[in-house]
Amino acid sequence: MSQDTPKSGVKRREFLKVLGASSAAIAAAGCAREPSGKLMPYLVSPDETVPGVSNYYATTCRECAASCGLIAETRDGRVIKLEGNPEHPLNRGAICVRGQAGVQGLYNPDRFRGPLARDGNTWKEITWNDALTRLSQAVAAARGKQSVFLNQHESGSFSTFLDAWLASFGFAPHLSVDFEANAATIEANRRTYGVAWPGLSFQDAKLIISFGADFLDSWGASVAHQLDFADARAKLDGAPRMVYIGPRRSLTGLNADEWIACKPGGELVIANALAGKATISQAAAESGADAAALQRLASELASSKPVLALAGTTGPDALEVALAVAAINQGGGAVGVTIKPAEAITAFEGMARPDQVLTAVEQMRSGAVGILFVRGVNPVHSLPKAANVADAIKKVGIKVSFSSYPDETTELCDLIIPDLHALESWGDAEPVKGTLSLQQPGMDPVFPTIGGSTGDALITVAKKDAAVGAKYPAADYRTWFISNFAGGAQALAAALPKGVVAGTLPARTVPAAAPMAAKPAPASQGDFFLITYPSVSLGDGRGANKPWLQELPDPVTKVCWTSWVEVHPETAQRLGVDRGDIVEVKTANGSVKAPVFVYMGVHKDAIAMPLGWGHRAAAPVPTFNPMKHKITDLQWGYGRYARDLSVNPLDLLPVATDGAGDVVLTVTKASVSKTGDNMILPSNEGSARQHGRGIAQAVTVDELNHPQEREKEELPGDASHAFLPGLRSPVAADAQGELGAPTAADHGTYKGLYDPNDPRGMTKRRWAMTVDLARCTGCSACVTACYAENNIPTVGAFWQNATYWADQKPGFNIARGREMNWIRLERYFEGNLDGKFGVDFEARFVPMLCQHCGNAPCEPVCPVYATYHSPDGLNVQVYNRCVGTRYCSNNCPYKVRYFNWFGYGEPDRKQYAFPEPLDWQLNPDVTVRGKGVMEKCSFCVQRIREAENRAALEHRDVKVDEFTTACAQACPSRAITFGDAADPNWSVAQLAKDRRAYHVFEELNTYTAVVYLRKVNHPAAGAAAPAAN
Amino acid sequence: MTKRRKWTAIPGLLALAVGAVMLSAYSGASSSQNYSPEQPIHFPHTVHVQKLGMNCLYCHNAANKSMDPGLPAVSTCMGCHKLIGPDRPANDLHDNKPYHSTEIEKLYKFADVKSMGMDMGPNAKPIPWNRLHKLPEYVHFPHTRHINAGVTCQTCHGQIQKMQQVYQYASLNMGWCISCHVNGYSAQEGEEAAGYAAQQQGAGASPAAVTTASTERKKARYDCANCHY
Repeated sequence: MSQDTPKSGVKRREFLKVLGASSAAIAAAGCAREPSGKLMPYLVSPDETVPGVSNYYATTCRECAASCGLIAETRDGRVIKLEGNPEHPLNRGAICVRGQAGVQGLYNPDRFRGPLARDGNTWKEITWNDALTRLSQAVAAARGKQSVFLNQHESGSFSTFLDAWLASFGFAPHLSVDFEANAATIEANRRTYGVAWPGLSFQDAKLIISFGADFLDSWGASVAHQLDFADARAKLDGAPRMVYIGPRRSLTGLNADEWIACKPGGELVIANALAGKATISQAAAESGADAAALQRLASELASSKPVLALAGTTGPDALEVALAVAAINQGGGAVGVTIKPAEAITAFEGMARPDQVLTAVEQMRSGAVGILFVRGVNPVHSLPKAANVADAIKKVGIKVSFSSYPDETTELCDLIIPDLHALESWGDAEPVKGTLSLQQPGMDPVFPTIGGSTGDALITVAKKDAAVGAKYPAADYRTWFISNFAGGAQALAAALPKGVVAGTLPARTVPAAAPMAAKPAPASQGDFFLITYPSVSLGDGRGANKPWLQELPDPVTKVCWTSWVEVHPETAQRLGVDRGDIVEVKTANGSVKAPVFVYMGVHKDAIAMPLGWGHRAAAPVPTFNPMKHKITDLQWGYGRYARDLSVNPLDLLPVATDGAGDVVLTVTKASVSKTGDNMILPSNEGSARQHGRGIAQAVTVDELNHPQEREKEELPGDASHAFLPGLRSPVAADAQGELGAPTAADHGTYKGLYDPNDPRGMTKRRWAMTVDLARCTGCSACVTACYAENNIPTVGAFWQNATYWADQKPGFNIARGREMNWIRLERYFEGNLDGKFGVDFEARFVPMLCQHCGNAPCEPVCPVYATYHSPDGLNVQVYNRCVGTRYCSNNCPYKVRYFNWFGYGEPDRKQYAFPEPLDWQLNPDVTVRGKGVMEKCSFCVQRIREAENRAALEHRDVKVDEFTTACAQACPSRAITFGDAADPNWSVAQLAKDRRAYHVFEELNTYTAVVYLRKVNHPAAGAAAPAAN
Repeated sequence: MTKRRKWTAIPGLLALAVGAVMLSAYSGASSSQNYSPEQPIHFPHTVHVQKLGMNCLYCHNAANKSMDPGLPAVSTCMGCHKLIGPDRPANDLHDNKPYHSTEIEKLYKFADVKSMGMDMGPNAKPIPWNRLHKLPEYVHFPHTRHINAGVTCQTCHGQIQKMQQVYQYASLNMGWCISCHVNGYSAQEGEEAAGYAAQQQGAGASPAAVTTASTERKKARYDCANCHY
């Protein structure tokens, strides 16, 4: 054995030296004091602020056209969270995914930090004053020439201000653009009801028919519609039945009781048949829909009044469909009952049609346009590539962008004067008739190098011209805004705390638009209709630079960080492709490659692709590397999170418009071919099926009203109601101090921590939650709310993978099961198990979060007591105790514990999830977790403690329903209720006694604190009832 | 073989030693107790609190209503020091002799004030105080709960009113926190810690005034999720 020579290059003596040196280093490090940094005081304390206590400002959301009301929570001068404004008539305190992500637009790391001027092929940082001088010169040079101003559509007085400014320089009024809005619906509404968007009442309807109108996705004011729809569904017995007609079952479609699948373009004949202008058999033959289902619907329609029929198709006949649907409404007694023109949503008034933008593009191409202004719109990405917007823009003399982000259109401009974010600027909106929603800054500008909003810039430019300047006595936009506000500064100051006030804005005087003519698409060749639709989270693409939205699994497909091609299972079989296989989709206009998502909710003759992805920089940009990134590097292609991510299906579409001037998004034919490549689709979904586990339970109305005696334990998770809620479980009850262990030596007299009189014994509380599945629509607003509240890192960017031997693929971490969504929205399919993939399937949505079990499987397996049960009923995760064995996660039947693999909260790592200034958003009340710890839903314990602290400060008890968790606050369906189940006065205690209540996996004796209320289905009369459970 | 066995034991022992060192380094047993950095301005709590009798909450004004005690803004200092400049007339603070305060001079430099009576200038800068008390970021310590429960500031911070240069009085380790939550805390203990009792006795106050403070010990919750979340 002595002949053994060491194989390693390190000799024993060296090894000992290294060992000694390293232990000395460790010892030294251990003894050194942790640096505690500096404390920087204010120069002058801002009024009405207490350090460490939040201030709340009511303002208006600008993430889509609807202009919901927001409450911006501001801590120590920084906006840290957005919540809905309960006073606002549209969103009534709720908020959607995209609204919440507004804060990631404010703190986007790729936001322009100041004005830029083109210098050949590079960009030069210029001062604010220099930028305004250049703008003033550009405007002076362009006077007398044609101008185009493309502005993001937002209701409010800025549009009239802008028109007046343009007019004073002799320019044409601006185009108020929203590429997501359904122009056909708006045009039909205007012709039928005289308003752009009437108020919709789902609660008053007996039957809801949607012709591709995705009112839960992006059609209309989705939060307002969702609130009302959920209220309608919560009526259970008297709830309206909903039927969805269209070639693709969207999120809205999945919430329908019945889906009538038709070919793209088949909606018109069905609508005509239901309006009595065509026969059912003709409709069935032309649209490919099931004749029996149509017949049933027709007779149901005749007997269910009032009806609410909605149209939102995007084919070449969209306007005709919308007008036919209006006829159904008129026949169905809808007008004035379910459709209320008097309560119109005015936020959609004054919008330019996409064909006006296309006309402007053609004018630019002809070289007639002297100056182009762009603000908040990105036509290069949001219009079909065939429109060749980029080439047209290059022909314009001077291009000025007011965009905040390095998008495709801005990259072609000469001068960039970034606008302030909506959370940094003043404004107003008229979301519904007669109500103004005010917009005030929640904080000072993130980048002081941006000297003001676009309004400020325009006023300064006006002042540089003697003649025009006389019209602008106001120093800045804020002063202008106040002086134009009815009642002046005093009235504004009185209205701001609430954020809404009665009032109207003068309508914008838009000159009569050029006559519209539908521009039909050229005949296209291919086996499949290509359906494209705005993504629920990214919209037309403007959300793509916000990591929360990229990380949010799509509510329908549960896929994130990539686009996909939805293919019907039969088609997939025929093509020989499966989930994740990359296919090439080809049309006459181009081809893209994207992974397949096999989805039985898309018509056999169609494939579907979401919009929003596929941002590209015009000039090559080096691959993003967080370790080498300098903040002066411009991330063209819409920022690091969006650039080169997946594909934009608009590359495939021809330039065609419908009768209302909207771009046709469906009906183009495409061919699909297999490439042989494949990828793992990043998704947080385990299985789309429940496999009899009883996670998402449902009953039909009949079953609910005539409950059948079932044998105990007949269904998994279906224990008797006497057992409910499991809130009185042994451990939970013990926490209430009611039990000692009777077998103990002291005969149970010693109750220790759980004795109510023990000073350590807690309040007699059991924090609990109910989730009403009859209300839940699966919109996922709760998920983003949780990210915002709990400092959850996003992990899907391609550079956030392992440091060594890592695949640099977006979403790779999620494909490997490293996602971090403390609350996830599970989507299960029911029915269609016969292998025929018919239309008769059902989707159930279940928000799944830590169940805070009274008898938690995770707790006994933790070797270091890092997870334990708190006396107030919380299953607690103590990050500083956790050593990362992950035993708890292995033992959790709900799979709601998430492991921090790479130190996403540590700024010196490439996986850092909060690059400056995204970290400004972090909630100071919640620990930013380091590498190697388990984390999970805490029932927003920081909010519980905050409420307790506030109550103690005011010498009172916590009031009933005084506070709620972030998910419950955001929920636009009001499905989530949180509170103290041990106190019968709290809403949650009452809801937990509902006849529909059940626990998930009750048979495991986990005694969960989350109570689900079964979904209620409304099968068509005469149709086969879907299987229970 | 024996020779070899002797050698193989050494790496094992060393590994144990290294392990012990690492464990002690990461056990959190270390503390910055008694840490007392030089501050950019030698702020005398002795003068402000002990001699002038200012309440702690005058400057640390959020301590009773927030997690965060609050640090006085430069304008708060200048609220008084606008009229109390570096060159001081004779007063009882300094044995009735006139004197020149270099520390107030430093304050004027930070506040960009040229002479007494002037407002803060445009180049005013915040004073970069060196932080002493720092809990790890996974600990949430609500000052408000403690102050409102009657815990005197000095219980945790020591008798700052007597410190020429503030130092970290308590270890601020978890065991130190827990000992109070478990064993309880009485108002009398608080007064003693604050040093008021001794002061009053020294000033000839009636001893009864000291002893009326309750000796009832109030205990507090101490499960992990009270502070760690």
